[in-house]
Amino acid sequence: MLRYLIQRVLVMVPTLLIISFLIFVIIQAPPGDFLETTLAELQSRGENMDQNQIENLRAVYGLDQPFHIQYLRWLFGQWDGFDYVKGGLIFGDLGYSFEYNQPVADVVGDRLALTVIVSIASILFVWAVSFPIAVYSATHQYSLFDYIFTFVGYIGLATPSFLIALVMLYFANIWFGTSIGGLMDAAYVGQPWSAAKFWSIMEHMWVPVLVIGLPGTAGMIRRLRANLLDELNKQYVTTGRAKGLPPLKLLVRYPLRISLNPFIADIGSLLPELISGSVIVSVVMSLPITGPMLLSALRSQDMYLAGSFLMFMAFLTVIGVFISDILLALLDPRIRLGAGAEK
Amino acid sequence: MKSFWHLFLILLALAIPPAGAAETAITGGAAYFAAEEAAGDLPPVAERLPEIPLVTVMPEIGRPGGELRTLMASPKDSRILVAYSYARLIGYDREFNLVADILERFEVEEGRIFTFHLRPGHRWSNGKPFTTEDFRFWWEDVANNEELFPVGPPTTLLVDGEKPEVEVIDEVTIRYSWKKPNTEFLPALAAAAPLYIYMPSKYMKKFHKQYADAAELEAAVTDSGQPSWAALFNRRGNQYRNDNPKLPTLDPWVLRIKPPADRLVFVRNPYYHRVDAKGQQLPYLDQIVMDVADGKLIPAKVAAGESDLQARYLRFDNYTFLKKAEKQGRFQLHLWDDSRGSNFALFPNLNCNDEVWRAVNRDVRFRRALSLGINRHEINQAIYYGLGKEGANTVQEMSPLFKPHYRTAWSSYDTSTANRLLDEMGLTERDDDGYRLLPDGRRMTIIIETAGESTEESDILELIKDSWRELGIGLFTKPSQREVFRGRIFAGDSTMSVSYGVDNGIPTADMSPQEFAPSTQQQYMWPKWGQYFETSGTNGTEVDLPEARALRGLLEEWRANPEIEARRQIWDDILQLWSEQVFSIGTVTNIPQPVIVDRTIHNVPKEGVWAWDPGAHFGVYRPDTFWRDTPQDTPVALSPVEDRLQ
Amino acid sequence: MTDLGNTSGNPGGLPHYVNPAPFDPYAIDRPNPALEKIYMASQWRMMWLRFRRHRVAIASGIVLLAMYAAILCVEILAPYGQHSRDVDHIYAPPQEVHWFHDGAFVGPFVYSLDYQLDMEDLQRIYTEDTSDPRPLRFLCQGDSYRFWGLIEGNFHLVCPPDAETPLYLLGSDRLGRDMLSRILYGMRISLTIGLFGVTVSFALGIIFGGLAGYYGGWVDDLLQRTIEVLRSIPHLPLWLALAAILPVHWSPMLVFFGITIILGLIDWTGLARAVRSRLLSLREEDFCVAAQLMGAKPSRIIFRHLMPSFMSHLIASATLAIPGMILGETALSFLGLGIRPPITSWGVLLNEAQDINVVALYPWLMLPIVPVIVVVLAFNFLGDGLRDAADPYR
Repeated sequence: MLRYLIQRVLVMVPTLLIISFLIFVIIQAPPGDFLETTLAELQSRGENMDQNQIENLRAVYGLDQPFHIQYLRWLFGQWDGFDYVKGGLIFGDLGYSFEYNQPVADVVGDRLALTVIVSIASILFVWAVSFPIAVYSATHQYSLFDYIFTFVGYIGLATPSFLIALVMLYFANIWFGTSIGGLMDAAYVGQPWSAAKFWSIMEHMWVPVLVIGLPGTAGMIRRLRANLLDELNKQYVTTGRAKGLPPLKLLVRYPLRISLNPFIADIGSLLPELISGSVIVSVVMSLPITGPMLLSALRSQDMYLAGSFLMFMAFLTVIGVFISDILLALLDPRIRLGAGAEK
Repeated sequence: MKSFWHLFLILLALAIPPAGAAETAITGGAAYFAAEEAAGDLPPVAERLPEIPLVTVMPEIGRPGGELRTLMASPKDSRILVAYSYARLIGYDREFNLVADILERFEVEEGRIFTFHLRPGHRWSNGKPFTTEDFRFWWEDVANNEELFPVGPPTTLLVDGEKPEVEVIDEVTIRYSWKKPNTEFLPALAAAAPLYIYMPSKYMKKFHKQYADAAELEAAVTDSGQPSWAALFNRRGNQYRNDNPKLPTLDPWVLRIKPPADRLVFVRNPYYHRVDAKGQQLPYLDQIVMDVADGKLIPAKVAAGESDLQARYLRFDNYTFLKKAEKQGRFQLHLWDDSRGSNFALFPNLNCNDEVWRAVNRDVRFRRALSLGINRHEINQAIYYGLGKEGANTVQEMSPLFKPHYRTAWSSYDTSTANRLLDEMGLTERDDDGYRLLPDGRRMTIIIETAGESTEESDILELIKDSWRELGIGLFTKPSQREVFRGRIFAGDSTMSVSYGVDNGIPTADMSPQEFAPSTQQQYMWPKWGQYFETSGTNGTEVDLPEARALRGLLEEWRANPEIEARRQIWDDILQLWSEQVFSIGTVTNIPQPVIVDRTIHNVPKEGVWAWDPGAHFGVYRPDTFWRDTPQDTPVALSPVEDRLQ
Repeated sequence: MTDLGNTSGNPGGLPHYVNPAPFDPYAIDRPNPALEKIYMASQWRMMWLRFRRHRVAIASGIVLLAMYAAILCVEILAPYGQHSRDVDHIYAPPQEVHWFHDGAFVGPFVYSLDYQLDMEDLQRIYTEDTSDPRPLRFLCQGDSYRFWGLIEGNFHLVCPPDAETPLYLLGSDRLGRDMLSRILYGMRISLTIGLFGVTVSFALGIIFGGLAGYYGGWVDDLLQRTIEVLRSIPHLPLWLALAAILPVHWSPMLVFFGITIILGLIDWTGLARAVRSRLLSLREEDFCVAAQLMGAKPSRIIFRHLMPSFMSHLIASATLAIPGMILGETALSFLGLGIRPPITSWGVLLNEAQDINVVALYPWLMLPIVPVIVVVLAFNFLGDGLRDAADPYR
């Protein structure tokens, strides 16, 4: 087991390095750099920037350096000969956002809390909706209500969320007077936490939670249902039924518990999901979470902001997979052995 | 003209009211500062104003107080308030004449010697005096500092690569002089995104290597995560970006929240230099609140009454929707005139790499034929409800330089003339589908590239496509991302593009005609020629089309000639040549800009010109004179400004 | 045997009964003809029998078949041409098809439209002239088109009544284009994107997953790591980067293929994993081991035994992946990266509808959402049915 752990950790390091390189390549792939993008945007609105000023900024930001230097600086920081100057992802410095003119950590930090709140709410919503539907439709396969409930569960998957988001915002405003977009009434933005602010957030949050959560329900229903069906067809269930166990007890005792096992494996992938939020929906609804920030950073090629943030998420994913692998290995010896046997 | 030594003296009568009258009338200004004044933290208003404040004339004298909410699409838009505030050394008035604003007065000699007189007793928003030291500091220690400006001072301050001579005459007088006229100097100072030639020296010296304590500065640099002191300095002292709440300003409102935030709050500047005729210190509004929301949601939020004053991010096609919301009575909807030469125009690329197309594009008959082949009336009716004006991409009626034939030249819908012109060019061969063939036998299908950001562009092209079909010319739309779009034009990869028309459609003779002559890479009809001048000949190619060279010659004549009558004549020549040559093909112009004004807000004109430069959007209408009928008594509690600055 | 209690008719000795009928000890194991059919049925047939029980899946399959058949002849089904527009009927709301006029049966007809421009609100107002019924024309000559871009034609299933009276069953858009026709033409693009995209990811998934599952060892390790890396990078930047890589000089058709390939490239990891794990687990299954013991050659094992249970799963997964592609296309359009006008896809249509004006004033422009929902749901139900059926021996 210890060997397995060490092996996994050792594999993680090159994996993360490769990811970091890929991410940097991806961010740099679109033509131009941050300054050109900004300039193009300003000029399309009739504003302009002094040519000298642009060159000044380019030098200050190090955008005039070749690709590999920029990459190495991002990852390992700036070195003056053998003297470490500053920065570097591996030293925990996420770099500097050109767009916001602030260290990346500060930019992301402000939005992280709300992101986690929205994401947790969405995940809970998904579970609350999909769990009963899945159990019902697995126990009543091919019945009318099976179809109806599954239909309801799938409808979220089938609707393009960006359009639904806009429609719901509009009608939430007309019917309930909820202000359009955002997570709270404008008056509470930037204010310290209070009961009124909390209430305002609650009032606004159900729309994004619904829109972000709904597409996820279908997948959840499907997996839970399939797992449950697998279990229900096993012999011990037949035996139990033959012995006259009450159906509910029979269902809850073993099949349901076992069919939940894969969710443990899922805990790992929850981490990055919590942080990334749903980008498109949050852009449409202009939610103050990290999604829109990531998109605009990618678009404007604010490379340290985009890069470090993506790297942070990739790191969480890798850690998450690692954690769930360990958990699974601990919980289920077969997997551990199986992993060994495959090699 | 040059041999003559003229003396121009522009005195501004407006700026010199009877000084005593203004002083006696000062009535204490805003109740907003009552507490501070009582506590002695702030001197009384009479002491805060410069000795000679600027008395602003306005339609209705108002009452101070209240706040104004507006919506923006990005936290970076805090700079837009700098434009709206429009406090400039020298600014445009509503008729687009240059008048002194922050300056008490200024003198220009021969278009090359500029003497500025500051207002004695004028103070920054933090109460520190605003003097010529702030100008000297910027020029000597900032613009000419190799670390802060590695490539040297802003290009507007260079005439033929030469720096001005800057003389500090006394605490309130400073002079800039060049050997040759610098015609772009004053317009740059008056621009929406102005050239700042001064800086709050007292505050900024804390971040300057020459002045600051080395250890403290080092600590501040490390603390802020900036790579160098120069970066920190630029970061802290960006007056246009307006993202440092601690940076003193001369604007009517001062930022109070540290961006990025989704709600930016600006409060009145206690030391602002303007007063109304009753002697009340401006601005009237105590607070400006900018809420940040996605640009696409802004029309919806406006309709829901979440903005008191809005035009940015509202499009003409939102009109119907906003009109319905107007009926709920919260706000009024005005339509302002747009200042663009043409809402969208086509730009045949005279520098394109495809030699056959380049030759065709350079043939004036071809450009004229394309222009004649556009059914502008249909475009106007279908997309703009007939409210736009159909015609070429040129100056507008509002400009004193306008002549009707500039707009009508080669812009009627006349396919027979167009076909005749094309036939004359020798493009008579056609293929089986009736399309004309290029000289090398290819089918004549023009690929028009767009940045594809609004459906309007592709709709217009869709409409043009059908009418060009009658000329035997195919049209194909190719959308790409903005940077790609520009890159392809600059490199000559695209044969034709569609984009916004002339930015400044309302010029006066004193404004530079550079948009009408090769001068920058941003001109999509001749990017390489523009680049040639922009980079003083290091990049791009020399102009090899006589008409374009003529335009460039006229531009240079204009620059060298400060005489107003001569300038008007040069402008006429330029516009005449421009309209005959159809270097860019206009469609419809003067598309109204919806402006939403809350019913309780006064002094916002019903009719206005929506222009960025000159005009600074609301800027020339002086938002510091806008006031609220029923000031809201409950200004929103502000979160403390975070102290991350040192 | 059950008649043990019946003791009549046995002289002498213990009363016991012997059934005179011939006794076949294997009778219990012998299937009745119906069952026998099932027992002897091929695997594919088993799947079909199983699949048939999922009635919604059957219905979904039929809907999808009909839609894919329709995209072959969009030109005929659409009342208007792909680029036909009518500047006199901009933003016309959907028209109702009537059958009875003044109590009399006329057959399907629409009323002619009166048009007024409200200059106050800048809105176009259409009113039906209920005194003027105009019967629809069927199997008629209308807008000309090039069938499949090749054959000139102007034959339509249904046409507007005459030149002045339009037929906008689903309304018209901002250039007076018929929404129904645009949705139909968009269907052609969007549905093919799903199919092509899945083909790409299917091919990649089978190749890489198969290699990993077959060779195991370091190949498997490498693939696992690669997939892990790819999955750690969120889709959004991948989309942005890949869309930026598409050469600008490509024609829209090539861009369209490029986008399907992008969608496929991003999606293949899931399938590859499925293939690999499926291969690994199937290898150990009893029937496989049995075949091995009986001396079957590897090729026979793979094609005869592994393939069916394996393919059926993959087909089910692929079916479930298609709607993701279709939605992916709409998302790409939203980000401004996907297909752009003048090509029409559902993503383009929905993106144009993503505007507050549309929601408030022209809601019929949001109608393309309906076919998207229908198709995505249908694929999902079909996929569910296939997946349930994929393992018929359970």
